Amino acid sequence: MSDAMPPEPAAAEPTPPEAAPPDPEPEGEWQRLDPRNLLLDPVRTLGQFAVPALIAFVGISSGSGGVPWWALPFIVVGAVVFGVLPWLTTTWRVTESHLQRRSGVISRRTSTAPLARIRSVDLEASLLHRVLGLAKVQIGTGVDDDRITLDAIDRARAESLRAELLARRAQAVAPTISDPDIGVTEQSRGLDTDSPRDWSITPGPHPDDAHPHDVRRPLPAAPAAPPEELARINWSWLRFAPFSLARLVVFAGVGGVLSQLGGDIPGLEPEQVTSAWERVRDIAVVVLGLVLVVGGLAIWTLVAVAGYVIQWWGLRLTRGDGSLHLTAGLFTTRSISVEERRIRGVERVEPVLMRLLRGAELSTLATGVGSGGVTTILPPSPVGVATDVADRVLGQPGVLTTALTSHGPAARRRCHTRTQRWAAVVGVPLVVGWLVWVLPGWVPLVGWLVAAALAVGAAEAAYSHLGHALTADHLVVGSGALARVRTALETDGIIGWGVRQGLWQRRLGLAHLVATTAAGAEKVVVRDVPRDRALALAHAATPGVLDEFVVVS
Amino acid sequence: MCQAPRMADLPSVTLRDPAHQVSPRAVTWWRVAALLADGIPVLAAGIAYAVWSERPWWATLALLGVVVVAALHVAFMPSIRFRIHRWEVTPTAIHTRAGWITTETRIAPLSRVQTVDSHQTGLMRLFDLASLTVTTASAAGPISIVGLDAADARRLVAQLTEITGASEGDAT
Repeated sequence: MSDAMPPEPAAAEPTPPEAAPPDPEPEGEWQRLDPRNLLLDPVRTLGQFAVPALIAFVGISSGSGGVPWWALPFIVVGAVVFGVLPWLTTTWRVTESHLQRRSGVISRRTSTAPLARIRSVDLEASLLHRVLGLAKVQIGTGVDDDRITLDAIDRARAESLRAELLARRAQAVAPTISDPDIGVTEQSRGLDTDSPRDWSITPGPHPDDAHPHDVRRPLPAAPAAPPEELARINWSWLRFAPFSLARLVVFAGVGGVLSQLGGDIPGLEPEQVTSAWERVRDIAVVVLGLVLVVGGLAIWTLVAVAGYVIQWWGLRLTRGDGSLHLTAGLFTTRSISVEERRIRGVERVEPVLMRLLRGAELSTLATGVGSGGVTTILPPSPVGVATDVADRVLGQPGVLTTALTSHGPAARRRCHTRTQRWAAVVGVPLVVGWLVWVLPGWVPLVGWLVAAALAVGAAEAAYSHLGHALTADHLVVGSGALARVRTALETDGIIGWGVRQGLWQRRLGLAHLVATTAAGAEKVVVRDVPRDRALALAHAATPGVLDEFVVVS
Repeated sequence: MCQAPRMADLPSVTLRDPAHQVSPRAVTWWRVAALLADGIPVLAAGIAYAVWSERPWWATLALLGVVVVAALHVAFMPSIRFRIHRWEVTPTAIHTRAGWITTETRIAPLSRVQTVDSHQTGLMRLFDLASLTVTTASAAGPISIVGLDAADARRLVAQLTEITGASEGDAT
């Protein structure tokens, strides 16, 4: 998905003036973003420049004496100009067939998305947006990185725009419901100062343009199936928040401080420990450590719970118009939609700590959405809920819970050798420490034994997570060492196979089977599966692809 | 809706090797490339050894190790690679095998192919070789045939472009 958006020649086509319909509400008028951006943009610009401006301000005032109050108007005016310019120069429109956005002061840039190619329409509103009743609209067209952003338009307008775009896409996909005249109802605000010669394009006579424009309806009267609700926030799920390590980054700094303190704990030399004073100091250090650990855990719980609430407030996952819709957020509300046709699978992850409480997270693997094709659609929630939602997203019950075929004794051995290698990595520095420095002899021995015992446990866990299955439409893969990961990938979404074997895998007759796909993380790997089994699996999952190369025995 | 696993009835299959080998000149190319690449660390290790006056006892061992590993790599890697690298393009699919310590077999249906590129480094041009890369909509799925005869590569690009141009859909 790395190629650029296909160039659209539509905008360059001049139309003879007589072809312009004498319509008071011509479809596809260029319109500006919402005028409330005039409030939003300067505030944001000020926010961006606040720190450098402050530094310059302080620097000047401390240097030459006297606070340069004369600079203040310049800063404010600058911010306003920088805020107003984007609003003045950015326009967008929806035509019969395309969504276009123009922006830029000196170098003009026109982004065009064919309506039929629109695969996701996401709304996002920061606190500032919400105070002003605005929303940011992001339109994805299948090219992962290149999304068209309208920042910002009226919230209600954004909602209706999304409904229109998604409904039109559905029509483009299924042309049986053919009413091409569902138009954009909002009129241009009449401030278009641009020279009309390049841009004022009225859509050329559409093949279906038989009926006049005045019968336009405000919204597509889609065969109104009410959106089906798949999930809604349940505050008892908050119990999973402290066990989700996703926000641990915040804590890395604290951990660094703790380890610094830990480094000051006195060494193990016996003559030091005999001193009573040292003993008191040791106890003080232990108490201090305990306080730090308990305090750290308390703060962690607070941060995790607050983060969970802020991110998932008002979560609603619904299905309608051929898309999944996710709405959530306390301050910044996100409203994400993923076209169901683009969803190629789901992934359920049970992180190691969350498994204590039987919690899981769920994502969809889709093509043509931002953020790497993986969209998290459920917060940490009970496994049962995640599985149930997965069933309904896939439209087939029991895919994720299919019994997996395990990979056999060789794979188990491989898990053990792999984790023992890590144990050795831990052990080697200890031995070196014993040889080179004065570590007592039992330290490397005990250290190594503990690491080896942990490695045995980790290997057994990894092996128990390993497995694969093939259902009617999905390849189901179990993986993960500490976390348990279950991935279901639609076999139609598999666009190639790889069989990778390292030296030891060749000796054991094992292989990694790689199913490549355009969805999600671009590949799903069945790890350490017996090679024959891997080939049989690939052959059965995508009939026909391997036909010319297999020898059936 | 029954989700009976389709597992029990999977016929056991084996994969035959892809039909063609890469150009025999690739062996020399790999050897020269390995010589150039390994030469740098060996040279660096040698200089360090010569400059380091109070070297510990294991320095000689380390130098010997580096030299032996590099020599083995240059001596054996190219021929092992040549035995393993194979490719085949049929009207519907591409099948390749590559690697030397870790081997990887790849198969992709040509209906899912998006781009066909060939490229030559300066050293490859010296040996009149070229590489061919076929990409699909998956970033994880580029398939390369390394060390083809340059004329073969050109012919193959033309052939693949023709086949993939004829297939429909957006290949995701």
